[in-house]
Amino acid sequence: MMITFGIMLAFFLLLIVVLQRIRVDEHSFSTYAVGDRSFGARYQAMSFLNTWYPGAMFTAFGGMAAASGVISFYVLSYSLLTVVLMYIMAKPVWNWGKSFDLRTQPDLFALRYNSRHIRTIAALIGIVSGIPWLVLGMQALGEMFRYISLGAMSFSQAVIFGVIVIAIRQFWTVKIGMRGVVISDFFQGIMAYIVGTAMLIALIVWLVVVKDISFASLDPAKFSIPNIGSKEGPLYLFSLVLTGALGGWCWPYIFVRLFTANGVQSLKKSAALAVPLSLLFGAALLIFGMLASALPSVAGHSTEVWFIVSHEAGGLVLLGLAGVVLLAASMGHIDGNIQATGAQIANDLLGNYFKLDTRQLIIISKFGMLGLTILSSWLACMKLPALFSLAVLAYQGIIQLSVPQFLGIFWKRGNKYGAMASMTCGFLIAVTLELIYPSGLSWAYGLTSGAVALVANVFIYVALAYLLPQPKEETQRVKSLFRLAEEHGSRTNTETSTMPQAEALFLQRL
Amino acid sequence: MQQQTYSYLVRLWFLFNAVIALAPPIYWLADNYKAPILGMPATLFYFLIVCVSITASILYAYWEESSKGAFTS
Repeated sequence: MMITFGIMLAFFLLLIVVLQRIRVDEHSFSTYAVGDRSFGARYQAMSFLNTWYPGAMFTAFGGMAAASGVISFYVLSYSLLTVVLMYIMAKPVWNWGKSFDLRTQPDLFALRYNSRHIRTIAALIGIVSGIPWLVLGMQALGEMFRYISLGAMSFSQAVIFGVIVIAIRQFWTVKIGMRGVVISDFFQGIMAYIVGTAMLIALIVWLVVVKDISFASLDPAKFSIPNIGSKEGPLYLFSLVLTGALGGWCWPYIFVRLFTANGVQSLKKSAALAVPLSLLFGAALLIFGMLASALPSVAGHSTEVWFIVSHEAGGLVLLGLAGVVLLAASMGHIDGNIQATGAQIANDLLGNYFKLDTRQLIIISKFGMLGLTILSSWLACMKLPALFSLAVLAYQGIIQLSVPQFLGIFWKRGNKYGAMASMTCGFLIAVTLELIYPSGLSWAYGLTSGAVALVANVFIYVALAYLLPQPKEETQRVKSLFRLAEEHGSRTNTETSTMPQAEALFLQRL
Repeated sequence: MQQQTYSYLVRLWFLFNAVIALAPPIYWLADNYKAPILGMPATLFYFLIVCVSITASILYAYWEESSKGAFTS
């Protein structure tokens, strides 16, 4: 236990040294909330990966690969498709963000639809949906500490210990804001996805060479995909990949990554840097999980596959390193979630209805982060049997933001009525279906509740776009926005914006 | 300043990625094909092809935009 915890303590102290060296800059709320849009491609790439892939990748998806086999690759398909979406969205979103000083995802909704209230709706959906995942992330850390304590800690003790560790880490998230999140993501990301991938490849070699395991050793059922006549339904994989790819950019803590880059080129370059890393990491993890399922010790303990194999192959030192990798991945996701939520509480909820200066926005944001850390820490220590169901429900709900988000970015015709009605109805339909059919929609051929609700969501958005045409002034405003979106994006392009400054200020006040 | 958008090849490639990753008949076909491809099960081969194609398309798109000077003002 001293070895495993000692290795993790060394990493944690090193991380604190890195965080302590970051300069605190609070000269504007944008500096605090989006790091003054100052990050280059390498920081962006690692920050995206560290927020995108939580520590649960090693437990939940590593475990899924071990238990269910090749179907687990759906996570890699949608994770890579979401980078395609990032590449396509980079220019309009970054240009609007820079020109109008957008700091959050609901800011973009407010700008595109010229509505103050849509900002509140989008923020509430994002914040509420994010909490179950934050709590799950903290509990996953507890699982890790339980395993690496080699049985010395009970599950409850391990969860409390994990919560204390992550709560201590949040001191720097609250103090430094986005700059601290992105810089620490870089450090944590190297550990989680570069060292982690190297470990995964080494463990695959160990499984093949030492344990003589190959794909031929595995049960052929592990290579099946839900097909016509299967229990899950023939559209199950389609539904998982579609909702995963669209849903990724609906999470506020992922979306805000588009505002932290120092230009469109950095964003696109970060996509080009992140995508091969993502492919290597994801493929290595899932192949590792599948091969490891042939080990007798993994049977029945698939979610612990990462720790079991590390321990068997490399003893306590490798187990300690496995813990460091998972801790690094978990911290990136939890920090990003807490930081984005704090910024939304200040910017999109209170700041939407009260005139707040920079200092007030930062203070409210910090208190929001502190409150969220305390709330989720408290929830993580409780036994919540419905937590996982709530998290699934949250995902089906939040993907309803995707219709007004993506159509709003790429289609001029949509209006605020369609946007608000479509995402609200989509959210309600998804929640209702999930409550009525908690174990899946048997009549939907494998479609999830969120995918079914998306159909209604798109229909409402498009129908209202045609039934309620935009007023002439709104059409002109949206056209100007789209012209601006096509401009060359860099740190110095604000001065060349085609939008009149007065309108920019007006929109910003919404 | 108006910038050139993606080439037809990049657009087609992105669309192709979406089709192969999402279209049910393609993954049903992979599931029905029982013989190994390049020594691996057909379904695993299918997923790897999808993932490699998406990765290569983004790398190509960035390379193409960079080489055309799309990021220089």
